[in-house]
Amino acid sequence: MNSIKAFLPSFHPSDWFISYKQVLSRFHLLGYIINSLFYGLCVAAGSVIINGMAGYAFAKLNFNGKRVLFGLLLALLIVPLETILISQFTIVHKLGLVDTRLAVILPALAGAFNIYLFRNFFMAIPAEIIESAKLDGANTWQIFLRIMLPMSKPAVATVGTLAFIGSWNDYIWPLMVLTDKSKFPIQVAITAINSTEPVYTNQVMAVLTISTIPLILIYIVAQRYILEGIGGSGTGIK
Amino acid sequence: MIKIGLKGNKTVYAFPRTKKGTKNKIQWKENVVAYTFLGPALLLLLLFLIIPAIMSVYYAFTDYYLLTPDIRKFVGLDNFINLFKDPIFLKSLANTLKFVVWVIPLQIGAALGLALLLNKQRKANTFFKVAYFSPVVMSLVVISVLWLYLLNPNEGIINNVLTYFGISAQPFLTSPKQAMFTIVFVSAWQGAGFQMLIFLAGLQNIPGDVYEAAQLDGMNKWQRFVYITLPLLKPTSIFIFITTLIGAFKLLVQPMVMTQGGPVNSTMTVVYYIYQTGFTDRMVGYASSIALLFGTIIGLVTLVQRKLVKEEDD
Repeated sequence: MNSIKAFLPSFHPSDWFISYKQVLSRFHLLGYIINSLFYGLCVAAGSVIINGMAGYAFAKLNFNGKRVLFGLLLALLIVPLETILISQFTIVHKLGLVDTRLAVILPALAGAFNIYLFRNFFMAIPAEIIESAKLDGANTWQIFLRIMLPMSKPAVATVGTLAFIGSWNDYIWPLMVLTDKSKFPIQVAITAINSTEPVYTNQVMAVLTISTIPLILIYIVAQRYILEGIGGSGTGIK
Repeated sequence: MIKIGLKGNKTVYAFPRTKKGTKNKIQWKENVVAYTFLGPALLLLLLFLIIPAIMSVYYAFTDYYLLTPDIRKFVGLDNFINLFKDPIFLKSLANTLKFVVWVIPLQIGAALGLALLLNKQRKANTFFKVAYFSPVVMSLVVISVLWLYLLNPNEGIINNVLTYFGISAQPFLTSPKQAMFTIVFVSAWQGAGFQMLIFLAGLQNIPGDVYEAAQLDGMNKWQRFVYITLPLLKPTSIFIFITTLIGAFKLLVQPMVMTQGGPVNSTMTVVYYIYQTGFTDRMVGYASSIALLFGTIIGLVTLVQRKLVKEEDD
């Protein structure tokens, strides 16, 4: 640490990945990454479908109780999730889901904010397009999959990406519901690796880097959509 | 039914009602379709949001202790009375308020400063935007572990730099006096990038000719900032202020990973205490009473924020 040399990378590219090799052989890192990817992809796909469907109902369908349910939805935006963690855990406990992968995925799927976001995007799609699709014989499900979702790419990208990032970065909830190490996502594994003696700084840094790379990649790809989705007018956030 | 025109005072429909009850049938069909689409989301929201919220309120008035077999007795306001005699809870409340009071000016100030810098300099803008924004995307765990190493009292880079400049090495996270401020700094560093982007959007909405006119009237840089930029940024600032406030109240992961609430409970926050009493100590009733008290405060602030944003829209 006393010379500038300590901060510079080695001249031999073969040295660059030694830490990665060491940490990969010491821990089941690949397993943790696959777990995180699995949880993230399930939550992202599920969020888009489930919240999109609900948003579609609120935007384009008429049903009894719409006003009451929409009011309830807006009220749910106010509930601070951090304060109901303990009750959420007792629910999962009573459902017998503790230490299952479902316990990580299910609570993360439906979100009042995502429904609201989808609803606002769908509202902007003109009724004429839906009417003409109906005349062509499309049913509600086909209209949703073939017209609503493709026409709201920014909303799909925003919800999908934010859901993936949220799931990938979540720490408290998987830490609470999982005890079996083989089901751990990478975030929970990081704190475990950081406290497994002997702790090597270079190996910990390698794990941190590995866990951040997917986020950077996603952000680069989806950045335009996210900014459009979050920053665009009419979505309710500014 | 599709309207196709008016004949006298009557509306003419493309598919006129033939029998009584057809309208009800159509409505019934639409209800079935709509509730099929709402179903999954409603079920999940009910299970993991609405029922837990109601349960939290109920548990707050019981001595529910999570174990097999569960113990549960209605105790009225006992939990709340005990709360205000509980030194760790009072400490956690004071710590949370301390965090809020410190992090808000630091984080918002940094965000506004960076936004003003980036708004002027067009060159290399994208690079700095990405550089400042990247901590926002990273997970709180990664950031906490990273800073744990940077702040290490003996080998950390920060102390190495400090001693190089002749400043004595600081204990940072291991000192009860410095630990909370260190967490404030790390949190502000992480969150400022997001707010910088919002400030930047706000700045770019201010038309340039306003500044030109002010310059012709003889206003200097500082006057233009105080009399034009700040007032026009007011809606953005209100939004950022309240969202930072709400976020700061919920502080949990950074103290959990970096200090475990220590040393001597100096970084124990309210949400971390809810987690500890409810999950680690299994005192669900007691934890729920803290959650109810605290959730109500955060909920009210959120409500105020939504009202303000709505007013700005109208």
